[in-house]
Amino acid sequence: MSTQQETFDIIAKQAKIDIATIKPESTLKDLGVASLDAIEVIFDLEEHFGVNLPNEDTNFESDTVGHLVDAIDRQLALKSSTQTPSDG
Amino acid sequence: MRRIVITGAGAICALGHDVPTIWKGMTEGRTGIGPVQRIEPGLLRNGGIAAEVRDYDPSSYFDSARLPLLDLVSQYALVAAGEAIRQSGIGFEGERAARTAIVIGTGAGGETTRDEQYERLYREGANRLHPLGIVRMMTNAPASHVSMMHGITGPAFSVSSACASANHAFAQAVMMIRSGLVDTALAGGSEACITLGSMRAWEAMRVLAPDTCRPFSSGRRGIVLGEGAGMYVLETLELAQQRGATILAEVAGCGMSSDAGDIAAPSELGAAAAISTALRDAGMLPAEVDYINAHGTGTMANDSTETRAIHRGFGEHARALAISSTKPMHGHALGAAGALELVAVLGALRDGVVPPTLGYLGPDPACDLDYVPNQARVMPVRAGLSNSFAFGGLNAVVALRRAP
Repeated sequence: MSTQQETFDIIAKQAKIDIATIKPESTLKDLGVASLDAIEVIFDLEEHFGVNLPNEDTNFESDTVGHLVDAIDRQLALKSSTQTPSDG
Repeated sequence: MRRIVITGAGAICALGHDVPTIWKGMTEGRTGIGPVQRIEPGLLRNGGIAAEVRDYDPSSYFDSARLPLLDLVSQYALVAAGEAIRQSGIGFEGERAARTAIVIGTGAGGETTRDEQYERLYREGANRLHPLGIVRMMTNAPASHVSMMHGITGPAFSVSSACASANHAFAQAVMMIRSGLVDTALAGGSEACITLGSMRAWEAMRVLAPDTCRPFSSGRRGIVLGEGAGMYVLETLELAQQRGATILAEVAGCGMSSDAGDIAAPSELGAAAAISTALRDAGMLPAEVDYINAHGTGTMANDSTETRAIHRGFGEHARALAISSTKPMHGHALGAAGALELVAVLGALRDGVVPPTLGYLGPDPACDLDYVPNQARVMPVRAGLSNSFAFGGLNAVVALRRAP
């Protein structure tokens, strides 16, 4: 599964919405995920992908879901580039 | 109705260990925010800044017999209460002891003790915990210690409503004096929440600013935690006059409300209801108020919502108000917030100086009032409000008037 699919899956589950309604250009706010629910979605994504998302990348009012997917990919790339060979 | 006045003020926070030092810092626009010193660097994710009490030596306040009983939250409450009682010149001999109440707001209670004990239990695998853990961490400990230290035997308890705790405590004390249950009260708030566990929990909520606290400003990025205590001696005007006490200000009224909405997102209607109720309780017209010490946390949501609530509560007069948040100086001290911020309101009423909102970069269209940016302002202040709006949608506003 791609990062985008996994991300949409987690958002759909947390927001209890049909995954088909999520578009890369929607914001979490558009999807009806605001306040603490949005913070929880970001927490779920961090736990799922094993990354830390900086606050700058998690403005759920103005940033799109596509932006969130990019931010996760950036962190995943960062993680694999800093991994030492012994980490496998 | 019995009129109530403040005759003593005490406080400790990142700006200093007593009210004169803190007030001077506020008028000079000093900030107490800096890198957290008591937590190992690298353990905090988001900037690692806070407004910590610095250069504080507990042994200069407490002897070695008492100190082991005291979590920081109780120490701060005792330091502030001692200063307030000394200033008021009040004694608690005879009947006065039972006719005095103590109400102390705290959000978290003995957080330092809790953190230490759980670290021993979970990380170090200790097979026994300290026997004084419970009496140090219990939320009522600050009230109990103030009672024990000063021989006050009237009603004493803590009030907990997160960031509105101190103002709710203040309101309870006012109600008890008005009802005739007591004539005098020690009221305020105390918080010592700068621990690894607490900081990490706040980080997880994504509300901590990485740079500094910038209430009502464009580019604001959240709150910066603070700590400390503020305590006040409240008494009837009649008693204060009989005693010949110096009156610092009159407590004109209090307003409380609940949003019945979201557990975290603030509500304009709830906040406005607390403001309007405080004005009504104080018998104050909006136009009498010159200064509001805002809740002004520096989050996107609070500051715009609070601005709308002030518009709603004050109508046209909103634009004539000087509004400032002193949180960029002493941080957000949660359950002690309202108590520290009352130092600003008292100072403004007495000295005619409104402390500034530091860290202000420029206007945000959603925050369109006069926030006294970056520089203190000399202006007469006849009456002032102190706003506190808590997570959980619990709001409490205190209205003060110049001393009669």
